[in-house]
Amino acid sequence: MSLIETASLTKDYGPVKALAGLDLRVEPGVIGLVGANGAGKSTLLKILLGLLAPTSGSASVLGMDIGTEAGEIRKVVGYMPEHDCLPPDVGATEFVTHMARISGLPRTAARERTAEVLRHVGLYEERYRQIGGYSTGMKQRVKLAQALAHDPKLLLLDEPTNGLDPTGRDEMLDLIKRTGTDFGISVVVASHLLGEIEQVCTYLLAIDAGRLLQSAPISTFTQRTPVLAVEVEEGADRLAAALAGRGFQARQDGACVLLALEDESLYDAIRDSVAELSLPLVRIQQERRRLEDIFRDDAPSAGGVQ
Amino acid sequence: MSAGNPAASSPAGSIYDLGYRHYEGKRRGRWFAAWSLYVDSLRGIWGFGRPTSAKAAPFILAGLYALPAVIVLAFSSIISNSIATGATNPADLPNYANYFAGIGTFIVLFLIAQAPEVVCRDQRYQVLPLYFTRAIDRFDYAMARLLSLATALFLVLMVPVIALFIGDILMSADAFKAIGSEWPKALPSIPSNLLIAASVASIALALSSYSPRRAYAAVGVLAYFLLVEFVPLVIYGIGHEAGAKWVDYLPLITPNTGLSRATDWFFGTPIPPDFPSSIGAGAYVLAGLVSTLLFTGILAWRYRRIAA
Repeated sequence: MSLIETASLTKDYGPVKALAGLDLRVEPGVIGLVGANGAGKSTLLKILLGLLAPTSGSASVLGMDIGTEAGEIRKVVGYMPEHDCLPPDVGATEFVTHMARISGLPRTAARERTAEVLRHVGLYEERYRQIGGYSTGMKQRVKLAQALAHDPKLLLLDEPTNGLDPTGRDEMLDLIKRTGTDFGISVVVASHLLGEIEQVCTYLLAIDAGRLLQSAPISTFTQRTPVLAVEVEEGADRLAAALAGRGFQARQDGACVLLALEDESLYDAIRDSVAELSLPLVRIQQERRRLEDIFRDDAPSAGGVQ
Repeated sequence: MSAGNPAASSPAGSIYDLGYRHYEGKRRGRWFAAWSLYVDSLRGIWGFGRPTSAKAAPFILAGLYALPAVIVLAFSSIISNSIATGATNPADLPNYANYFAGIGTFIVLFLIAQAPEVVCRDQRYQVLPLYFTRAIDRFDYAMARLLSLATALFLVLMVPVIALFIGDILMSADAFKAIGSEWPKALPSIPSNLLIAASVASIALALSSYSPRRAYAAVGVLAYFLLVEFVPLVIYGIGHEAGAKWVDYLPLITPNTGLSRATDWFFGTPIPPDFPSSIGAGAYVLAGLVSTLLFTGILAWRYRRIAA
C-alpha cells in the first residue's frame, strides 16, 4: 500500500493554479516535499488532510480516498501547520491533552500520551507555563507534540523549522529524523530549504508551480560524482587556472576551488599546483553534491564542475 | 551553560528516556471527540483552565443576572412580613414567570462577554486546522461549541429560579409542604429557559463566528440585540397607532420581548395589553424555535465555508 497517491490532482484559486495535474505515488518513509514559496506544497498537504477540496483529480492517503474516507484519514494523521496555531493563554500540557482527546483518546490515555510526547520533543519544566510566554523554538516543539499526541501513522509537517535559529533547526530536524526512522511513523516534510530535506529525508518530491519536478530516493541525488573543495588562504584564482591548465574542471568559489573528483590523479595535481605556486593551503575536503544542483539550470549533467 | 553543567543537560535525562512509544490503547470516535470539545468549551466559558482573570467576567455577569432573586432570598423574612401586612404586592416581586421579562437584558451582557470567547479564539490563533484534522468534522465542531454556550446560558438562567425556589420555601410556614406546592410552579422555567438559552446562544454564536476579533464580535452581538429588539418595537408602536395590521407580526422577531412572551406561553400568563391579541403566545414559542434553527444553520454554514 502506498503512502500517498494522487492522480491529476488540480487545485485552482480563481485564475491561479496551485496544483496543476499532480500525479505522484510515494511509499512509506521520510519524504521531503521541496519547492519554492507558492509551489503548492501547503496546498497539497491541505488537500491530503481534507482541509481543502481539490478542484479535480483524486488522491489517497494510506490507501484511503480523501473524498470518501476523510474521517478515517483524519484519525491516523498528525498535522503541524506552517503558521502559529497555539492559543497563548493555556499551558502546553493542557493544550496537547485537549488535542489528544479531540483525536479520540480517553482522558487518562490523553494525559499519559501528552507527558510522553512533550518529553519526546524536549519540553520539560516549562510545559505547565502558558504558551504565550514560549520562545519560537518551544512553540514549534508544542506544535510537533500536538501532531504526535495520538500516535499517528503519518505526520504532515509544513515548514517545521520556520523561524528557528540554527541550533533549534538542527534539533527539530533531528527530532523529525528520529520520529521518522526510529519509530516507524511516515513523515512528509514540506520545506523550501533543500539542505534540511537532505539531512532528514529518505525520499524527495520536488514540485514547482503545482507540477511534479522530481520524485526519487534521496540517495540517487547524493551518490553522484563527489566534489572536492580546496581552500587556500590566497591565490584561489591562480590555483583554479593552474588546475584548469592541467585539464581538470575547476571552479573558484570564494577562497575555495571546487573540483570534480573523477579520478585519483586529481590529488597529485592539487599537490603539485599548490607547491608550484607556493600557496598557503588550508584544507582539502570532499563534499557531497548538494541537492541544490537539481534546481540549478546550468547544473552539469555529467557531474563536472564549471 | 549546559556545557559547564553537563549533569543538567539532556545526557543525564536520557537514562530515563524510553524514546518514543506507540499508543496501543483504545481510540474513541467522533462522538467522544465532540463530547470532549463540548466539555472543554463549557469549562472555558467559565474560565476554568484559564487564568483567574478569565473567571471574573462570566461569574460577575451571571451573578448580576441572579442578583434580584438573591436579594429576594436574602430578605425573604422581611418580604414575607411585608406581604402579610399588605404593604407589598407579590406580583411586583420577581417570580418564575416574570423574571426573564424583567431582567432578560442582562443576559445580553453575558453573551457579549462570553460568546466571542467561545469561537473567536480559535480563528484568531488559527487553531481551527488542528481541530479539523482530528476525529471531529466541521459540523461537530460548530455544534459542540453551540451546545456549550447554550448549556452555560441555561445554567445562568436557572440560578435565579433556584434562588427564588429556596426563597419561597423559606417564606412559607411549612417548608416541607411548600416544596410540594412550589415545584409545579417552578417547572415551566425549565422548558422556557431551554428555549431562551438555545435561541440567544445560536444568535450570538452565529454572529461571533464571523469575526476572529473578540471586540468586533461583541459589537456585532450587541448591535443585533439592540437593533432587532428596539427597531421592530418602535415600528410596531407607530404602526399600531396608525392602525396597520402587518406590524402585529414585528414583535415576533425581537429577541428579548419575543422570548419573554414565549415564557408567558410556558407559564400560561396572559399577554400584556400593549401587545396585539391577534398573535397568541404560542406564536412566540414558534418564532423562538425558528430563529434557533435559522441561526444554527448560519453557524453550520459558516464553519462549512471557513478557510482553515
